[in-house]
Amino acid sequence: MHIELPRDASLDGHLVDGAIGYLTLTTGIVFALALVFLLAALLFHRARAGRTWGRHAHGNRARDRVLMFSVALVMFVAIDVTLALRTTRDLEGRFWRYPDADPAAVRVEVTARQWAWSFRTAGPDGRFGTPDDVVTLNELDIPVGRPIYLKLRALDVVHSLYLPSFRTKIDAIPGATTRAWFQATAPGRFELGCAQHCGVNHYKMRGIVVARAADDYRDWLGRAEADSRLRYDPAASAAAGGWDWETGK
Amino acid sequence: MSAGKVAASDEGELPPEPTGFWRRWVFSLDHKVIGRQFLFLGLAFLAVGGLMAMLIRWQLASPGVPVPVVGKLLFGPSGGVISPVAYTALFTMHGTIMIFFAVTPILIGGFGNFCLPLLVGARDMAFPRLNMASFWTMFAATAVLTASFFVPLGPPEAGWTAYATLSTAIGAPGPGQTLWVVAIYLNGASSVMGAVNYITTVLRLRAPGMTYLRLPLTVWGFFLTSILNALFVPVLAAAMVLLFFDRVLGTQFFVAGTTPGAGGDPILYQHLFWLFGHPEVYILILPAWGIVGDLLAFFARKPVFGYRVTVGALVGVVVLSCVVYGHHMFTTGMSPLLGESFMLLTMIISVPTSLIVLSWLGTVWRGAIRFPTPMLFCLGLVFTFGVGGLTGLYLADITADLYLHDTYFVVGHFHLIMAAALLMSLFAATYFWFPKMFGRMMNEPLGKLHFWLTFVPLNVVFFGMLAIGYQGMQRRLYDPSVYDFLKPLLPWNRAVSHAAYLLGAAQLVFVVNFFWSLARGPRAAANPWEVGTLEWTVPSPPPHHNFDRIPIVVRGPHELGHPAARALGRDWLSQTELEGDTPPPRAPTEEPA
Amino acid sequence: MTSPATTARRREVDARIDARVGLVVFLGATAMLFAALLLAYAIVRAQAPAWPPAGAPPFPRGAAAANTLALVAASIALRRGRPRAALAFGAAFLAAQGALWRHLVAIHLGPAAGALGEVFFALSVLHALHVAGGLLALAWAGPARRGLLTLYWDFVLVLWLVVYLAVCVL
Repeated sequence: MHIELPRDASLDGHLVDGAIGYLTLTTGIVFALALVFLLAALLFHRARAGRTWGRHAHGNRARDRVLMFSVALVMFVAIDVTLALRTTRDLEGRFWRYPDADPAAVRVEVTARQWAWSFRTAGPDGRFGTPDDVVTLNELDIPVGRPIYLKLRALDVVHSLYLPSFRTKIDAIPGATTRAWFQATAPGRFELGCAQHCGVNHYKMRGIVVARAADDYRDWLGRAEADSRLRYDPAASAAAGGWDWETGK
Repeated sequence: MSAGKVAASDEGELPPEPTGFWRRWVFSLDHKVIGRQFLFLGLAFLAVGGLMAMLIRWQLASPGVPVPVVGKLLFGPSGGVISPVAYTALFTMHGTIMIFFAVTPILIGGFGNFCLPLLVGARDMAFPRLNMASFWTMFAATAVLTASFFVPLGPPEAGWTAYATLSTAIGAPGPGQTLWVVAIYLNGASSVMGAVNYITTVLRLRAPGMTYLRLPLTVWGFFLTSILNALFVPVLAAAMVLLFFDRVLGTQFFVAGTTPGAGGDPILYQHLFWLFGHPEVYILILPAWGIVGDLLAFFARKPVFGYRVTVGALVGVVVLSCVVYGHHMFTTGMSPLLGESFMLLTMIISVPTSLIVLSWLGTVWRGAIRFPTPMLFCLGLVFTFGVGGLTGLYLADITADLYLHDTYFVVGHFHLIMAAALLMSLFAATYFWFPKMFGRMMNEPLGKLHFWLTFVPLNVVFFGMLAIGYQGMQRRLYDPSVYDFLKPLLPWNRAVSHAAYLLGAAQLVFVVNFFWSLARGPRAAANPWEVGTLEWTVPSPPPHHNFDRIPIVVRGPHELGHPAARALGRDWLSQTELEGDTPPPRAPTEEPA
Repeated sequence: MTSPATTARRREVDARIDARVGLVVFLGATAMLFAALLLAYAIVRAQAPAWPPAGAPPFPRGAAAANTLALVAASIALRRGRPRAALAFGAAFLAAQGALWRHLVAIHLGPAAGALGEVFFALSVLHALHVAGGLLALAWAGPARRGLLTLYWDFVLVLWLVVYLAVCVL
């Protein structure tokens, strides 16, 4: 019986796994200690021939309170405070520090709808709304080793983009724009899904992340962009999905 | 100091008893009858919600296989197989029923009503007619909810959380969701009526000498729950009102277009909902904490360890519960400062919670512990709440939550608390107060069997869900095998489902025991558990007026192991009895109270 | 030993205090309902590009203010021991609100016509429901409940003033 997290192919996923691991270790220790204590009480302090009276102690003395508060405080510092500090550092340093100024970042507009994902990449010219934009359905093509900067919208109800192998999860909300970023460390095909109940076919909102090595990605982008130019229709830009990345309109 | 009514000797004549079937058993003003009405209503819906859970588990274990026995009847159009539409309706109604129509009426409406006046030494609730209205409002809510199954486009399918815009006309065009909104509103109205009653009863109707620090923890549980109910159910009402207006009057509070800034804000719904939703989970668990706190003391034969710290911790949880709700919304793109604040506050709430658990451990330590069925269920709660509470820390930490949000880890977490721990408390309460409510004892061997047949599978089910979520499976998936990375989880889901079937079947032991004992159980004495709280000073079941004379309270509710009791040939002192003319000599082990 | 008469009197006083405590709890719950609705209003307003929303006709403040007088009159009438006059004024308020709503729909400030309309309707409809409840209480309750009714009607008046200020003035 093997319990494993999904394969981690991301740059920062180890922070998530580390947090979960630390939690399992510390809460495991706390639980084990409490359980041993409880079982000891149930075993040794159960009513029997020589033990018919419980100890008439109210636990209201100063030292009882000190004991209780100390244990609670130690747990709080060891688990909560440690995690809070670590997480704040991770969020502000990595997960919620978006690569707005990074020229190497690949920008992708994600549109969620009942019940499919569409992804629009800016194409070699780096700008959205131009003939070389590549739109894919249920497939997110990304290069390895560069930040992938996602902005998300939903057309109808709240969805949530879930990339298990990149430890990323971000809601897509109608009327709002949300964002997330991650970076792949290895090529491969990884599943993506929806993590917010969005209707009867929520379970089918599956897609694939195709992570490619740098030249492979360049080849793919070139081919895809050539296809896009053929299909480009300025009148149908709304149908292609997407919006002005900078202003969010 | 007591703020209660005039002492017994000045009571004068007692109120007249009602006559006639309707006045006595249907439209009764007696809190004991109303309590039993809530109990039976809640138990019926617990069964319905439980059966729905069995169906959900069937689909996850055997996708595409027709449901045996009832499949053709319930899912005829799809050949006995649960369709995706039916599945979404099932998990929506399962959650809705369990929270609002099972646990709430059983624990708060049922035991709260039955026990509260007895425990504080009153003849009835402060407002008996309001009490009756509260039951019938709840009943009306169940009728409206049931009706949603029979309207065009069927029952609601937006989950018990009913997020916008899935719950607005965009995602849910039929009247079923509207009826759901109305049912929740009526349910909430019933809760607020109850809250008004319980709060006033505790503030005003305590017997002379029943100071706040002499109240059983059960009373504190119901009192604090009622305060949260009074404050936060109206916030749910606001969310429901606005959702109703969006669905029916064409407003756009939550209905959003594709362009930011035009139309409403679905996240506004989430804020309003979770502002209620988080206190709601404390509303549900506070009575359980209170009951378990008392019962552990009773069966360990010693006082609660750290009663004042416990009360302080309960109040601390109540205060903090108001400001932690954002941890349900970490993936909505909230500002980092807001997110980190919610994370910190959520973590802080673990301090009073751990104090409560520490108090339980300190209570059983150095006791002379007895293990009748109610005690087994209390210990079961200590175990499952311990795990469930600790798993909450994973979800409080944003980094971990980025992965675990909306997976089965969350489902395992809240079921360990809401289902496992709460269920344990429901059963503990039932086995404990059954003698007082019905005048008969439940069968003890059957009770113990019920405990073990429940406790073991229950842990398999919900630990299994934690493992399934850890491995990445999202919530509310009709068929996880759509995802390759979830295909290996089918054996896990099967094992969880099989344990769930066992868990469900085990409840038959309880049903048999309950109804058999109701009809043929041995007559119960006034105080079969040998404890000192006020309800055990009156016959089982109590007379209509509860107390012949309103008691005068002279000590706390957990005076077990009290040295002065030795002279009386037992190990407990009642809250009302005096110790005798001379104080007993101070034994060396005795702690000052 | 106290006499039965004193006991009965004490019980009456106790019951009155109990009822007042209960009413205060209920008013607290109602206040939370409106606090939540006002929070929703604050968020709607904060997120709107402009307030009042562009293109919205001016809100008929005068008419809404006039309706306030009916509520004030009801509270005063109750204080003066005239429950039936209070009932009449309360009913007049509801009738006037109904007329105001019809007017608002006609000038495109109805619930489906934009943020200002929907906010006013949500708050005023819920408020009106509580006024209606107050009318029922007035019709049903006996003279012993005068103090409670006064408290309730004062609350309903203050609530309306808050709604009016928040939506129509600020």
